[in-house]
Amino acid sequence: MATIIANLNKAFESRIRLGIMSILMVNDSADFGTIKELLELTDGNLASHIKALEGLEYIKCTKQFIGRKPNTNFSITDLGRQCFKDHLNALESLIR
Amino acid sequence: MEKQLEDLKAIREMMEKSSKFLSLSGLSGILAGLTATACAAFAYLYLLRDPSATDYSRPQVILILLTTAFIVLSLSIGFGIFFSWKKARKMNQRLFNKVTMKTLYNLCIPLITGGILSLIFIYRGEIEIVAAITLIFYGLALINASRYTFDEIHYLGITEVILGIAAAIFLYNGIIFWTIGFGICHIIYGAIMYKKYDLK
Repeated sequence: MATIIANLNKAFESRIRLGIMSILMVNDSADFGTIKELLELTDGNLASHIKALEGLEYIKCTKQFIGRKPNTNFSITDLGRQCFKDHLNALESLIR
Repeated sequence: MEKQLEDLKAIREMMEKSSKFLSLSGLSGILAGLTATACAAFAYLYLLRDPSATDYSRPQVILILLTTAFIVLSLSIGFGIFFSWKKARKMNQRLFNKVTMKTLYNLCIPLITGGILSLIFIYRGEIEIVAAITLIFYGLALINASRYTFDEIHYLGITEVILGIAAAIFLYNGIIFWTIGFGICHIIYGAIMYKKYDLK
């Protein structure tokens, strides 16, 4: 049991971070506004969690301009995908 | 333990919500089906049952059939947008987001191909094959778009394709298969989806 709990990733303890990772697992990319809307969050709240996940290099962002409006797109990194999968497996083995 | 279960549930929900078009309402299917059945009944009773009894020439018959089909199409799209919009509003979401666009894009490729092909055959006077073509391409369009929405759409698509092939085999009874495919199947699948997803 202890080893399984050790496999749980501390970075994913927050439900918001789980949400961000879930969205980016099944979508090639998503912009800030879409994620915000899906998770029903405020700008600041989402930004802090995104910064944390970016710091861990679980997600990466690409900035571009659509017309004159800046648009920030997020996508999952290989490391993020692997860590999230490990976390999912750990969750599943815990409830079994 | 409780938290882990809740976490998994939240992950699953967010994956679905962010990648699937879930605003599709069963009601639009039911109403589209009813419209199609009514218009097919009209076309059958007034034009196709006994062609010798009508005063219309063949081009006129084709024109009336095309107009009827166009009315069915417009009403169905109208119902589809209206009820999806209502459902999206109820779920606190925008109707036209990236996933909706992806769904529509994948729906439209086979649909427009089939539409153009049908018009070519009508232009050449081979109207009998049109029921089969519309059913088959509509079915393929649904199968193509079903990756982004409810699983039922996939099976509805397969049903339509099978009916389309049957309509091609029994070429002169196309209207029967068309009515089953666009009318009755829509009502049945619409009702199933309404009960399963909307009445929650």
